[in-house]
Amino acid sequence: MMTSTYGEHVETQSDWTFRAENVSKTYDGEVFANDGISLEVHPGEVYGLLGPNGAGKTTFVKQVIGLLKPTSGSISLGHFDLIEDPDVARQLCSYLPQAQMPIESFKMHEAVHITGLIRGGTSEDIRARGDALIEALDLTEWRDTRGHKLSGGVRRLVGYMMTTVSPGKVVILDEPTNDVDPRRRRLLWDQIRLLGSQGAAVFLVTHNVLEAEKAVDRLAIIDEGKLIAQGTPSSLKSDDRGRLRLQLMLVPGNGVPDLPPLVQHHSRVGNNLMMVIDEADAAVGISWVRQMTDAGIAEEYALGATTLEDVYIRLTGHTSENSGGA
Amino acid sequence: MTTATSSILELPIKREGATHWLQSYRAMLRWQLTDMRMLLPITVVVQLLSGVGLVLGFGLLISDMTANVAVYLSTGAVVVTLVIVGVIMGPQLIAQQKAAGSYDFMWSLPVPRSSAAAAWVTLNVFIAVPGMLGALGAAIWRYDVSFDVSLMVVPAIGLTLVTGTLLGYSIGHAVSKPDITQLITQLLVFVIMGLSPISYPIENLPGWLATINEFLPFYPMANVVRDSLTNGIATDVVRSYVVLGMWALASGSIAAAVLRKRK
Repeated sequence: MMTSTYGEHVETQSDWTFRAENVSKTYDGEVFANDGISLEVHPGEVYGLLGPNGAGKTTFVKQVIGLLKPTSGSISLGHFDLIEDPDVARQLCSYLPQAQMPIESFKMHEAVHITGLIRGGTSEDIRARGDALIEALDLTEWRDTRGHKLSGGVRRLVGYMMTTVSPGKVVILDEPTNDVDPRRRRLLWDQIRLLGSQGAAVFLVTHNVLEAEKAVDRLAIIDEGKLIAQGTPSSLKSDDRGRLRLQLMLVPGNGVPDLPPLVQHHSRVGNNLMMVIDEADAAVGISWVRQMTDAGIAEEYALGATTLEDVYIRLTGHTSENSGGA
Repeated sequence: MTTATSSILELPIKREGATHWLQSYRAMLRWQLTDMRMLLPITVVVQLLSGVGLVLGFGLLISDMTANVAVYLSTGAVVVTLVIVGVIMGPQLIAQQKAAGSYDFMWSLPVPRSSAAAAWVTLNVFIAVPGMLGALGAAIWRYDVSFDVSLMVVPAIGLTLVTGTLLGYSIGHAVSKPDITQLITQLLVFVIMGLSPISYPIENLPGWLATINEFLPFYPMANVVRDSLTNGIATDVVRSYVVLGMWALASGSIAAAVLRKRK
């Protein structure tokens, strides 16, 4: 076996908790890309990193895998110091970057197989797991197709398989569902959940709050380099208990109308105006949005439970990209 | 069905040592060769043609080609084809990876950096050697020159290729902006083709430029390769090996430093 035993490490290495403590990253000593981020992720957990573009999510995971070096703070997995030893970081973590994989010349199964070999798997294991992944994600028809002929979504899934065919103990997925069609998205989420159940700690970097809400065990919201909230989706929503989401579809060309005091906070994506109100104010709210539709300012409205999206908007002041169609 | 595998926590903790290095080298070379599979045949042909073209072109430039001049020029053409691959094409390929965004993925792979660099050098050998042979063949066919190949051809070409490739590798990795890499390689083409005494004797240069070239890697590369392919044309060969050997060590250390650096 290739396993090199590290003396006493092996017997005692049963704790594979990932820990980041006070991780800060500055460029030119001024701008904080990450500002004192601390978090802990346990084996088997799918952990979401949510935040607007440029919030510092990718910067953070690049420090985990050793592509960037923190200005201060520590990152460890079990008792391995991932900052001191980037070689071990690359072995113990696998990383799906946001950019597409360079697989133009590779047939799908080759890209997966060779990456598995590079990641240190045995040929037999990788072939079995690679074929199982191709089948599970319903990609069999493209198994022998070269990368340059694959659609963006299928290439994204190939990237996922390359990253996880011989996974690390920590698996970092940066926007894994980009360009993927809705049906295969669901298959992909199943695989990500399965990866967790097999013992990997999965980092899921995304700005798609709605998807994350269903897929993650816990999550952190990062904004302007800082970790501003952390917990399970329900615990983060607990502050919004007793509140409702009132949505108004504005007639194109209209600005945000004067809002009544019952609106606690609001945001607009395209022509979609989202407001959070108290349950007690539901009736007043409905009559107000009716006035808006009658006056021709809005086309339709909807009232529903608050989602993680509303928490996200309240905390970051941003909408997540996907909220436009939600 | 979904994937069946044992728990991820049972995977190897840390791999290291010679077996790990060799396995990584083989897998990375396989990756590089597959990655280049569409470009590799055409790259080899282009290299072959440029080797041949360089030799034949010199014949058009110089009307009364004596045997001595022909030997000088054709051995120069051999060195140019060897150097261009590592120093010019190498950094451009890496710049392309950076521009396409695939660089981070390649860089996050769990292989020793030195095994990735070694796979890269090997790929460059595959690309460069046909051009070199083409240049030699063209010289024999067109000018009827005879070469006197000694065993020193192995270290001479080996040092030239390794040094050139690692210098190019370092440039490609150290320069973060792909545009700047393009500019640097263009400047290097100018230096290698024009200002380095590869295809002409060093005595033809003004004294100060000759002195500079004594310490740059390109003249020593030409000198040791010429020495290994001919008899009695090259002078000061030992000195060239020393200078080139130091450049080989330096390029290895520079590459190692560049590869270790994290921003």
